[in-house]
Amino acid sequence: MPFVNWLRRRLVVIAGLLTLGYLLLPNVIVTVFSFNKPNGRFNYAWQQFSTDAWKDPCGVAGMCGSLSLSLRIAVWATVGATVLGAMIAFALVRYRFRARGAVNSLIFLPMAMPEVVMAASLLTLFLNMGAQLGFWTILIAHIMFCLSFVVTAVKARVMSMDPRLEEAARDLYAGPVQTFVRVTLPIAAPGIAAGALLSFALSFDDFIITNFNAGSTVTFPMFVWGSAQRGTPVQINVIGTAMFLIAVLFVLASMAVGNRRNRQKA
Amino acid sequence: MNTTDSSGDVRLVGIGKTYGSFTAVHPLDLTVPQGSFFALLGASGCGKTTTLRMIAGLEEPTSGSVHLGEQEVTRLPPYKRPVNTVFQSYALFPHLDIFENVAFGLRRRGIRSVKKQVEEMLDLVQLGEQARKKPHQLSGGQQQRVAVARALINHPKVLLLDEPLGALDLKLRRQMQLELKRIQTEVGITFIHVTHDQEEAMTMADTVAVMDAGRVEQLGPPTELYENPRTTFVANFLGTSNLIEAEVDTRGGGDIVLDAGGGKLVLPEARCSASARTGDKVLVGIRPEKISLTHVDDAGEIPEGRNRVTGTIADASFIGVSTQYVVDSAVCPEFAVYVQNVERDGRLVPGADVVLHWSPAHTFGLDAAQSLLAGTTGSAGVESVEEEAA
Amino acid sequence: MSTLTEAPPPLRPAATERKAPRSRGRWTPYWLLLPGILWLVVFFALPMIYQASTSVQTGSLEEGYKVTWHFATYWDALGEYWPQFLRSVFYAAAATVLCLLLGYPLAYLIAFRAGRWRNLIMILVIAPFFTSFLIRTLAWKTILADNGPVVGALNSLHLLDVTSWLGWTAGDRVLATPLAVVCGLTYNFLPFMILPLYTSLERIDGRLHEAAGDLYAKPFTTFRKVTFPLSMPGVVSGTLLTFIPATGDYVNAELLGSTDTRMIGNVIQTQFLRILDYPTAAALSFILMAAILFMVTFYIRRSGTEDLV
Repeated sequence: MPFVNWLRRRLVVIAGLLTLGYLLLPNVIVTVFSFNKPNGRFNYAWQQFSTDAWKDPCGVAGMCGSLSLSLRIAVWATVGATVLGAMIAFALVRYRFRARGAVNSLIFLPMAMPEVVMAASLLTLFLNMGAQLGFWTILIAHIMFCLSFVVTAVKARVMSMDPRLEEAARDLYAGPVQTFVRVTLPIAAPGIAAGALLSFALSFDDFIITNFNAGSTVTFPMFVWGSAQRGTPVQINVIGTAMFLIAVLFVLASMAVGNRRNRQKA
Repeated sequence: MNTTDSSGDVRLVGIGKTYGSFTAVHPLDLTVPQGSFFALLGASGCGKTTTLRMIAGLEEPTSGSVHLGEQEVTRLPPYKRPVNTVFQSYALFPHLDIFENVAFGLRRRGIRSVKKQVEEMLDLVQLGEQARKKPHQLSGGQQQRVAVARALINHPKVLLLDEPLGALDLKLRRQMQLELKRIQTEVGITFIHVTHDQEEAMTMADTVAVMDAGRVEQLGPPTELYENPRTTFVANFLGTSNLIEAEVDTRGGGDIVLDAGGGKLVLPEARCSASARTGDKVLVGIRPEKISLTHVDDAGEIPEGRNRVTGTIADASFIGVSTQYVVDSAVCPEFAVYVQNVERDGRLVPGADVVLHWSPAHTFGLDAAQSLLAGTTGSAGVESVEEEAA
Repeated sequence: MSTLTEAPPPLRPAATERKAPRSRGRWTPYWLLLPGILWLVVFFALPMIYQASTSVQTGSLEEGYKVTWHFATYWDALGEYWPQFLRSVFYAAAATVLCLLLGYPLAYLIAFRAGRWRNLIMILVIAPFFTSFLIRTLAWKTILADNGPVVGALNSLHLLDVTSWLGWTAGDRVLATPLAVVCGLTYNFLPFMILPLYTSLERIDGRLHEAAGDLYAKPFTTFRKVTFPLSMPGVVSGTLLTFIPATGDYVNAELLGSTDTRMIGNVIQTQFLRILDYPTAAALSFILMAAILFMVTFYIRRSGTEDLV
C-alpha cells in the first residue's frame, strides 16, 4: 500500500515526465543517428558508429547552400516582420482609430488558418501576377505569416505596461520621440525580442508555405523533404543536432546573463 | 454557547516547523478552549501564519502533534479536518458565483439540498442580494464576508482567520472587527485569528498569544498582556512602555524596593517576572498614561507611597483628548507621559521642571538581560514591513 | 496672493504643449498601421479573393483560365475527396485529444510541481522547435520501424492485433498506418497545446487549491472543480492551436503514412503542385477554410471563451 500511495501522489509528475520523454525522444534519435554509418541511402536503421558526418558536415551536394539560404531568409523575414509587427502593436495599444475590429481580425486570421490554405492562395496570387517564384516570394510569404505572431507578442507586453510611465516621462520634459526611445521602447523590448525569436524559428523551419511558393529554389526544410524521397544523408542529423545544441546553449546563456543582471540589481 | 464542551478545544503539543536550517516555529504547547476567540499576534515572519497553517493541515509540522478535542489530526489532510480557514485576500473561486462559493464545502461533503443553508448563511453576513454575482463584482468588504460565510457554513469545530482584514481600509476594518466579533458570539465556534495589528487583536480576542521569532512570548487576556507584560517585546509591541534600568535594593512585605539613578522605586513582587535578589538588575516598566505630571513647585501635594522621578519637559504635543509629553530625566532620557486633557496646567511647557509620579501597583518588572528596544517598531512600523514582504 | 503671482513662469506655454502631441498624433496610428496592414491585405486577404475566383474558373494550362462561375468544381471536388476531408478531421481530432491528455500533466507539472526544475523543463519543451520539424518527423520512421522497439513491444503484448482489428494499424506494421500519422501529428503539435495550458495554469492563485482542500475537496475533486475550470482558456486555445494546423497538415501523412492515409492537405498539394488542376485545388482549399472557420466559431461559442488570443 505505501507504494500505491507513493505512486498516486506522484502520478502527475510521472505522466508529465513521460510526455517530456515523448517530446524529446526524436531529438535523441536524431543525435544518435548523426553518428551512424548507414548501409544504403536511408539513415533509418542503426549500422555502426562513425564520426564521418561530423567531420564533413557540408559533404552533401546542395545541403549547406540550402542551409545558408534558409538562414538569410529567416534573418530578413525576422527583421521585416518585427518592424512591421511592432508598429501595428503600438498603434493598437496606444492609439484610438477607426476600423480597429477589422485590423484585429486581419491580425488574427492568419494564425487561425491552416498553412496549406494560405500557401495555396498565395500561389494563386503569384501565378496571376506572373511573379517569378524564388527568394523574394518566399520572403514575402514568411513576413506575412510571422507578422501576426510579432503583433501578439509585442501587444501583450505593451498592454501590461503602466501608461503612467509614459505620462511621467512627458511630465519630466521628454518629448514624444524621447518618451518613445527612452521609456516605451526599452520596456517593450522583451516583447519585441520574443516576437523576433519566434519569427526566426517559424521562418527557418517553415515548409508548407515555402514548398508552394519557392519554385525551384531549395531551402533547408525543402532539402530535407526531398531527401526523404531520394535518400537521407547523415549530415541532416548533424545539422539537426547542432541546431538543438545551439538553441539550448543560447537559452542557458541568456538565462545566466539575466540572472547575473538581476543579482547586480539586488 | 456551551463552554463546558471540550470537543472544540485545539491542543498543540510540542508543535514546531523548520525549513532547512531556518526554524519558523519553535516547538510550542498551546491550548485554545472551545468557544473562545483566540488571536496570534506578531510581526511578519514571526511564525504565526505557519502555526495557523499547521492547524489547518496546509503545512505538515516537523515535530509535535495537533489535537481537536479528543481526536489527533496531525497527519490528516486539510479536506479531512473539521477546520475551515478564511484566507488572506480571501481566495474566492473566481469562476463560481457567490452562492456556489458558499455552497462549495457542503457539496464536497455530499450534501444535496444546500439552498436553504446557503441563503441563511448569506443573510447572516448580509449578502442575500448578491448570491448570483461573481466575486470580482463585489467590494473588498463584501468579498471578506463571503469568505467568512464560505467557511462558517460547514460548522467547523474551529475557524481559522489568516489576516482576514489586512486588505481592507481602516474604517472598513473597524466595522468588520465588530462584525466578526458579533458572528463569533452568535455561532459560538472557536476562532483562531492571525494578525499583526495589536489593536485588532485586543478589540476582538478573549485571549492573545504574542509571538516573536517562532516563539510565544506571552499568552493571556488583552488586559493582562497590556497591564502586566512579561517581556520587553510584549511591553513595546503592545502600546508604549517606559523602561528604567534599576537594581534591587531590599525586598519585603510583598514589595521590592529598587534603586534607580539614586531614587527609590517600589514594585509589587507579584508583578515582577524576573528573579529579584538583592543586587540583581531589573527593568522597571510603566505605561505613559499611568503617570501623573506635577510641576516641581507643587511637589509637596503628591501623596505618599507613589513612585517619583524628577525631570524636565523636553517636548509637548497636544493630541486632543490628551497631551503627550517627553520628559528628560536622569533614569530615562525620553520618558513618555500621556495626560488626559481634563484641567490643563499652563506651567507644563517645554523647559519646565516636573515630578513624574505613579502608583506602584501599575509598575511592572522585567528581566534586565533583554534588549530594551525589542518590539519597539510598534504596529505602524510592522505594517510597512508586512507590505514590503508582500 | 503675492507668492502665487511671483511663482516662476512655466517653462513652455502649457496650452500649446498639451495640444501639440494630440494634433500631431491624429494620423500617427494610421502611419504605424499602414505598411503592416498593407502587407497583410496584399499577401493574405487579396490571395483569398484570387483563390475564390480561381475556384470558379474553367480552362486549361495551355489556353488559360476564365471565370465562368463554374460551381460544379466544388461538387466534383467534394464528391471525389470527401473521404480525405473526413479523414483529416478525424485524425486532427484524435491528435488534439491525445495532445490534451499528454500535454495537461506536463503543463501541470511545470506550473505547480517542478519547483527549481521549472526553467529547465520549459527549455526542453521549447528547444526541439529549433531542430527542423521534418528531421524530427523522419526520426519517427526509425522509432516506429518494422523491426524497431515500438513494434516489438506492441507485438509481444499482442496489442498490434487489437489495433489492427480497430483499423489503426495494418498487419505487423505501425509505419504507413493511421496510428503512425496520428502519432506524428500529436508529436508535432504537442508544444502548441502545452504552452497555452501552462500559461493559464500558471495564472491560478495557489491559495485557491488550499481553499478547496480546506473546504473538503479531495485532490482530484479540487482538480475537477477548481483547477480544470480555471484552465479552460488554455484548453480552448490549446485545442485550436493543435486542431487547425493538424487538419491542414500533409507532412506527417506523407512521411509516416501511405496512400490509404492521405489527408486533404496531401490532395491540395498534389492538385496544385503536380497535377496543376488549379480550380479543383482552390475549391478544396476554400472548402477546408470554410469548414475550419465554421467548426472554430461553433467551438468557441460552445466553450463560452471569447477572449482567446
